[in-house]
Amino acid sequence: MAKLPVSAEKIIEDFGPHLNYSPKEGFDGRDEPDDVVKTHCCFCGMQCGIQLLVKSNKVVGFEPWMEFPFNEGRLCPKGVQRYLQNNHPDRLLGPIKRVEGKGFESTSWDEAMDKTVSEIKRIQEKYGKDAFSILSGVSLTNEKSYLMGKFARVAVKTKNLDYNGRLCMVSAGAGNKKAFGLDRASNNYSDLEYAEVIIVAGANISETFPTLTHWIWKARDRGAKIIVIDPRMIPLARTADVHLDVKPGTDSALYGAMLKYLVDHDMLDHDFIDNYTSGFDVTLDSVKDYTLEWAEEITGIKKEKIKEAAELWGKAKTSFLLHARGIEHHSKGVDNVLGCINLVLATGRIGKPYCGYGTITGQGNGQGGREHGHKCDQLPGNRDIENPEHRKYIADVWGIDEKDMPGKGLSAYEIIEAIHRGEIKGLLSICFNPLVSLPNSNYVREALEKLEFYVCIDFFLNETARHADIILAGSLQEEEEGTTTSAEGRVIRIRQAVTPPGDARTDTSIILELAKRLGEEDKFTYDSSEAIFNELRVASKGGTADYNGITYKRIEDNMGIFWPCPTEDHPGTPRLWEDKKFKTPDGKAHFNPAPYKLPGEVIDADYPVILTTGRVVSQYLSGTQTRRIGKLVDQFPEPLLEIHPTLAKQYGIQQRELIKVSTRRGEGIFPANIVETIREDTVFIPYHWSGKKSANLLTPGTLDPISKIPEFKVCACHLEPMKEIAPPSKESKAYASV
Amino acid sequence: MKNRTFNTKASLIATVLSIFSVILVFLGSRNLQNFDAALITYLFGTIFAFFGIVYRYSVWLQRPPTWIYFKRGITYLVTGKVFSHFWFASKETIENIAFQKFIYPRGKYRWVAHFMIAIGCTSAFLITIPLTFGWIHFTMAPNSISLYEAHFFGFKVMEFKLDSIMAFLTFHALNWSSYLVILGSLYYLRRRLTNPGLIATQTFEGDLLPLILLIAISATGLALTYSYQFMKGFAYDFLAVIHAVTVIMFLIWIPFGKFFHIIQRPAQIGAHIYKKEGMKQGMAVCKHTGEEYATNMHINDLKEVTKELGFDFSMEDGGSHLDLSPEGKRSRLAQAHLKARVAGGNLFG
Amino acid sequence: MNYTSFNTNEEFFVDMQRCIGCKACEMACAECETNGQDSMIHVNYVDRASTVQTTVQVCMHCEDPVCASVCPADAISKDEFGIVHTANTERCIGCSNCVIACPFGVPKKIEEYDLMMKCTMCYDRTSVGKKPMCATVCPSGALFYGTKAEIEEMRPNSTPVNTFVFGKEIVNTKVNIMMPKGSTELIIY
Repeated sequence: MAKLPVSAEKIIEDFGPHLNYSPKEGFDGRDEPDDVVKTHCCFCGMQCGIQLLVKSNKVVGFEPWMEFPFNEGRLCPKGVQRYLQNNHPDRLLGPIKRVEGKGFESTSWDEAMDKTVSEIKRIQEKYGKDAFSILSGVSLTNEKSYLMGKFARVAVKTKNLDYNGRLCMVSAGAGNKKAFGLDRASNNYSDLEYAEVIIVAGANISETFPTLTHWIWKARDRGAKIIVIDPRMIPLARTADVHLDVKPGTDSALYGAMLKYLVDHDMLDHDFIDNYTSGFDVTLDSVKDYTLEWAEEITGIKKEKIKEAAELWGKAKTSFLLHARGIEHHSKGVDNVLGCINLVLATGRIGKPYCGYGTITGQGNGQGGREHGHKCDQLPGNRDIENPEHRKYIADVWGIDEKDMPGKGLSAYEIIEAIHRGEIKGLLSICFNPLVSLPNSNYVREALEKLEFYVCIDFFLNETARHADIILAGSLQEEEEGTTTSAEGRVIRIRQAVTPPGDARTDTSIILELAKRLGEEDKFTYDSSEAIFNELRVASKGGTADYNGITYKRIEDNMGIFWPCPTEDHPGTPRLWEDKKFKTPDGKAHFNPAPYKLPGEVIDADYPVILTTGRVVSQYLSGTQTRRIGKLVDQFPEPLLEIHPTLAKQYGIQQRELIKVSTRRGEGIFPANIVETIREDTVFIPYHWSGKKSANLLTPGTLDPISKIPEFKVCACHLEPMKEIAPPSKESKAYASV
Repeated sequence: MKNRTFNTKASLIATVLSIFSVILVFLGSRNLQNFDAALITYLFGTIFAFFGIVYRYSVWLQRPPTWIYFKRGITYLVTGKVFSHFWFASKETIENIAFQKFIYPRGKYRWVAHFMIAIGCTSAFLITIPLTFGWIHFTMAPNSISLYEAHFFGFKVMEFKLDSIMAFLTFHALNWSSYLVILGSLYYLRRRLTNPGLIATQTFEGDLLPLILLIAISATGLALTYSYQFMKGFAYDFLAVIHAVTVIMFLIWIPFGKFFHIIQRPAQIGAHIYKKEGMKQGMAVCKHTGEEYATNMHINDLKEVTKELGFDFSMEDGGSHLDLSPEGKRSRLAQAHLKARVAGGNLFG
Repeated sequence: MNYTSFNTNEEFFVDMQRCIGCKACEMACAECETNGQDSMIHVNYVDRASTVQTTVQVCMHCEDPVCASVCPADAISKDEFGIVHTANTERCIGCSNCVIACPFGVPKKIEEYDLMMKCTMCYDRTSVGKKPMCATVCPSGALFYGTKAEIEEMRPNSTPVNTFVFGKEIVNTKVNIMMPKGSTELIIY
């Protein structure tokens, strides 16, 4: 499609973001709800239990759910305010279509569906099946994730399906598959409780997974030492025993040096290494020159601190290593993950009580959503789309000929590149806002403008959807039954609290209707979400992510079941690897060399400062939901450029002075927040905002060669003070920036 | 000890003023010539209420924090400073006392309901008290059978025809007040019976009884009207007694219960002037945040008041904890806590 | 006050070193029925330029509440459970004496209402035996509401303290702050 039909300002006027606040004394009916629904938060991978209060088919408030074992009522500010996404003035209440010069107007479902299907057919007939692409997301339930994978391969018959998990934890997934042959956090979080040492690498837990803090603090109450690896003094790092303020892009050097230290001081579990692992020698060889002095030079961390961390880790009897996007959003994200896993394997502390390892999945269903086949290279049960046996099994479940099943497609950012090159002409997106969340947003916008047809399924008109021809009004998380899988691997039940308002429909019914109109009704007929789940169970059977033994009833009765769970009498697997039987071809855990390499972009005379990006506690990802909730916006109204006073002094920067930050891809202007809590050579901008306030105007599209994750966490930038103090944050209106 | 002297003082003031008001009744009713004997119980109720209010007000004024505001107010009055705030005070009186503007942001309906009660009560007071005191009375104009004359304090103030709109409005004024009060009170009663926050914190005598009394007074008052207008005086005497009982309960309740706020509320304007005057003299800057947070005068006054009340927030170095803004105090406490935790060797556990 | 099932075994325990500044408590406080959408709990950076340390402050419910003493309008009262209630709406004249005098920086003047409001320990919840909203949602344990036995079991190396020294003034409170084991008071100055 071409440019926006009318100005972005006009679209915002009609469709938001507008801020939703609760009335002064709460919504009517909060005191006497029709229903109290035990479900889960729609945001991050913690999937905290929460009870929604429902009155007259509207969510009017919440009540903590004290019994749910992970969070026992605890919530973060996003969780407390999540109920305000329901009952929202910006909510799309029916399908709308683009009208040039006017913006978007209501249309009928029939017309919207007809147009969508005819355009899919037209594009595919003219340019080939794969010229139509699909971008999905992992805030969707397992059922919908599975359905999107099947829809793309069976109904649309395109190979180019990928998802926003590509920006999330794919590096961890790839690393875990290499090392363990399976992609899941190896333990549930109650194993943190008696861990002696906890490493938190590139995970701003207190802002991105606040409720996980409880388990870490609990361990510390029992005397655990905590090591935080982060270029910034994040809230967790303030009280940490060791804070390794790593220079962005040098993580693998740190892990390599720590591994060498463990080896040199013989803090290894030889029995475990000898009997249950492979690849140790070649990995050891790759770090043989990684002395503490070298590591200090590369990472900028004092060698005494690295030594202290290595000593603590080496001597511990129990431990837990957690990492997240901070080490994964790199052109060597997989290497960073492998570097962490090497530290875990070297000490043999896995598969035992209070000995754990895991990535902290970011999105609500980041775990479950990445297992059931809406990834470009994957089929349900975390099967491989290029493995003939896997293809055959799934083709049988779906009732299609294996030969008709498309092969491996392009990853999310590669799809954007292919659109840019003119190879892909059509796009269907659901639960994904690439214009805000992908790097190099100018480039992404240009790609969107080249599409011949773009249809979006969403409940709000997000920034990307403004470029769409048709928007199908879909459903919120609380408007459909389903399941998700939390970051611990716990499969849990999402409840339908209300039905979609107005003429909006459930996502599932929209997909099923499209499939029907594409002529595949016989393969897309389900009478409930549970029916889809039951098919998913069969499809996942025998795969590494085996859900076969999990039923809705069992989840409800047990407040969640941990996969793998192959049979209905299997209790589920809260802790992996107790049997030391890894899922790799040789049945062993693999050490992998992860030698230090430079990031995709390094600082030079033109761009002399390191830029890194991240999140704030009150916003969630691209902000489609959270930039519409008043109090969450008020808590952090606009992105600020965090800069160390020493660096600020070099540029003569004042507190709250506007700074133009430019990279080779674009520029943006942000108020400075001068703080000692960041490295002197690095600046930080949070990324939840759109338009001119988007940090992703600056970030590079450099991808990890294995996981294809973009390098959000490090690039080179140039700073230019604007000699003007920013107006108060509250007046910035950054939530609706164009 | 303190309390006892306060009480004596307050009793004295109240007694003197009550006697003075009785004298005014005599003067205003021209030696009881215009006094309506039927209202004698109301008269006693009102005088008693007046005594109670003055007593309570005097006790209240003598509390150190109130006294300092009172003292400042008198000083402004004597030094003439108050006149520089004349417009401000007038504006505030209209906005805050007449229209209770500050309630509006708390809730639109809350304001509407309160305003209805306030208008109803005020107009009722303005009519009934002078009537009771014999300060107003109505007579037929000499040589006329359709012209009424209204007298205030024995002086004729106006006349109107018996069947005029003015007559209708005047004679039914209390009915209009009653409707307003009933509607407003019902809103509040409903709110108090359904809002969980209020249910948790309210008391019967402090919050519900006043509303019930208001409704009872208004309803019985209306019933009196309808009894003689439409029902040929059905149950009139009974209603009259009930009405008198509720009114007298209400009057006696004023000094001790919720209705005292009617008397107390003008102090709000005093507080505003105090703040304005303080700002002229300069703002206090928080030692921790470096930001202005209150007027210097207010901080200094409070240092004295707290001392007088037995709290000593002064520090060894001559400074005071009150030199910190609320945020500054919280931060200093957290810093002290961190220091203690670090000294204890463990931030957790 | 009329009817109550206030659980007198449960107490409030605060440990601001655990606070991560997420403000879940502030959001949750606004869901409490006694104060509408106005949040009564305070979370603020202690000194953002140099540290990410935040602090969280609920009303400490003093034994001898300064706020009530300095109130010229008799608008603040303490009940039989030791809860110091928020300003009585019809009495409060919005003078801010309590805001300035409170040693913990708790009362909040809401300018548009011309009214002081403060934490009542979620009286609508605690009076029916529930826990306060803030302590229920707090993800870090900076706020905890439960029995003394529970906190002793959870945090064996800490002692709840409810005596605070502000220069020459010693303030005793209903709410506890967790301190190193064996501590008896927190000295601010």
